[in-house]
Amino acid sequence: MALPVELTFIIDLLAFIGIFAIIALSLNIEFGYAGIPNFGKLLAVAGGAFFVGAVPGRVLAFLYGLMDNLDYVGDNTKILFGVNKILSADAFSSIALLLISLICAASAGAVLGFIASYPAIRLKEDYLAITLLAMAEILRTIGYNYEDLVGGTKGIAIPDPFRWVGGELRYTVATITILIVLGLIMLYVEFLARSPLGRTLRAIRDDELSAEAYGKDIVKFRMKTLMIGSAIAAIGGALYAFLSGSVTAVGFDRVTHTFWPWVMVVIGGAANNFGVLLGAAVFVTLRKVITFYKDLFKPYLPFDVVWMEYLLLGIILIIVLIYRPEGILPEKPSRTLSMKRINEIMKRVKSEEKE
Amino acid sequence: MIPPIFRDALVFASLLTMLSTGLTLTYMTTKVPNFAHGNFATVGAYLTLALTKVLNLNPYLTIIPSLVLGGLTALILYVLILKPLLDRGANYIVLMIATIAYDMILYSLINIFADFLSRTYKVTTRLFILKSFDFKLLGQPGLFITAPLIAILIVLALYVLLNKTKFGIGMRAAIENPSLASVVGINVNLTYAISWFISGGLAGIAGALMPIWLMCNPDVGMRLIVSIFAASIVGGLSNIYGAFAGGILIGLAEVLGTGYLSLEIGTWVIPYRPIIPLLIMAVTLLFVPRGLTGINWRKILRRS
Repeated sequence: MALPVELTFIIDLLAFIGIFAIIALSLNIEFGYAGIPNFGKLLAVAGGAFFVGAVPGRVLAFLYGLMDNLDYVGDNTKILFGVNKILSADAFSSIALLLISLICAASAGAVLGFIASYPAIRLKEDYLAITLLAMAEILRTIGYNYEDLVGGTKGIAIPDPFRWVGGELRYTVATITILIVLGLIMLYVEFLARSPLGRTLRAIRDDELSAEAYGKDIVKFRMKTLMIGSAIAAIGGALYAFLSGSVTAVGFDRVTHTFWPWVMVVIGGAANNFGVLLGAAVFVTLRKVITFYKDLFKPYLPFDVVWMEYLLLGIILIIVLIYRPEGILPEKPSRTLSMKRINEIMKRVKSEEKE
Repeated sequence: MIPPIFRDALVFASLLTMLSTGLTLTYMTTKVPNFAHGNFATVGAYLTLALTKVLNLNPYLTIIPSLVLGGLTALILYVLILKPLLDRGANYIVLMIATIAYDMILYSLINIFADFLSRTYKVTTRLFILKSFDFKLLGQPGLFITAPLIAILIVLALYVLLNKTKFGIGMRAAIENPSLASVVGINVNLTYAISWFISGGLAGIAGALMPIWLMCNPDVGMRLIVSIFAASIVGGLSNIYGAFAGGILIGLAEVLGTGYLSLEIGTWVIPYRPIIPLLIMAVTLLFVPRGLTGINWRKILRRS
């Protein structure tokens, strides 16, 4: 059964919207709600992907007894062929692999977020931003050069949890999985935004001093936010790895995994999860269309079209920052109880007072 | 005979001081860490490449045009982007995002220019080096003498500018207390704009000298930014002499540290070089977040 080209295009688009929406939503918790300028988003995304590249394959190869004196990175193709053969016949293990890997990748992301922010968490946000950016660069350097992790610049294949579906449908099922995870994360971040934690974060963002005066431990909340944000971003990175079936360190860079999520959040509307979702959808679709029609421009430009795209993105971001800093969908005020409910409570309080 | 690694270290440290002093200067005035600072130098490096390869100029002669272009690049960031944002009451996080966006714009422009240069003039614009254009002085490569000299001249010039001229004293006043400074008739906006021009100009000088020693690529500035920030943070981010000291410290530590470690444990450590400035930065932030110049040296000396 072959899928029509249009459908493949849309499925591919949805998969990427899903992954980038997850990353952008994680940035929205950090920047939109808590006001933390995380310029090292790449750190957690790459962390999640590197974790999936390095750990599950080794564990499975060990469990299935395929490691016999083979080098995991050097004989990667051979080992993974064996692992995937077993996985493709075993739907239960595949799903278990996916779920356990995602949970572990999220934990790895949270740990990375904690370590990376630790030196500057007590200082002003700009120091934190610089430190996070630098830490992300370091992880990238390690990913490029430490071949035992994810094969350095050559990349590494990973166990495929979608293989049991078989053939054409694999990509579709992977996309549906991504969209389900996105849905769950969306529910979680919406819940978070309305929870006391979300309100505390906004209070800290808007006025650190007053929040502190009300007894909020700013450092603790910031750390918590960065850990949650990094965990979610790591899930995004891990899903990206599972979707493509491999991890290549070169695929992770500051432009794609830090700058683009920032564009999505700022243009979509910081501190509005639906805005960020919209931002991610618009951004990924635009990029896809540009890439699709890239060859049309090629003969007329004396340079690679991709730079034109970066240039436009930078300019659009600055224009939005200056003329519409709240983004497409601005932040909504927190929901309060309805007037009826407040009157009821007031009545009850008054009647209690009388007694 | 001077071992080559010391030459590398001294040249790299000198180039780093030119970048970190500029970064600190703009941080002091506008209070925003400029993430586009590395690419100011890359702009200078590519102008130097074009002038040397197309017009056959000596790279040392391109210092002046590179200074002007770097300065203008920085001035555009301040006048067209940061100033309008400041006027609209944007907080410094928004300003930081704007500098990252500008970094992206510069990065794409540099790549467009590099593509154009290689397609039109058949010049190697990726991974290029202009070492063959350097001269020999006392049997040493020219930049080994000139880079430290230029770095010292720059910091002396900044000292004279900030302490001995009316304009510089006005600038310091504008940094200390902008509203009070404007009350006594100092044009705060102009002083800030000029500080951005100086900052970009210094990065431009570093950019012009960079290709004489280092392998340059369009992403060289984006790679350097970690070292530049480390140097400025070690220096305290609020003192240009601190940034100078930080540049020397980070530059020497990075090159010598990598050199010695590669001899001790093996050459595989060389690609991990960027970890050294990051570690120094992390230690500084943990223990002396206000940097070298924030330490009360007199108190420590008295105690011992």
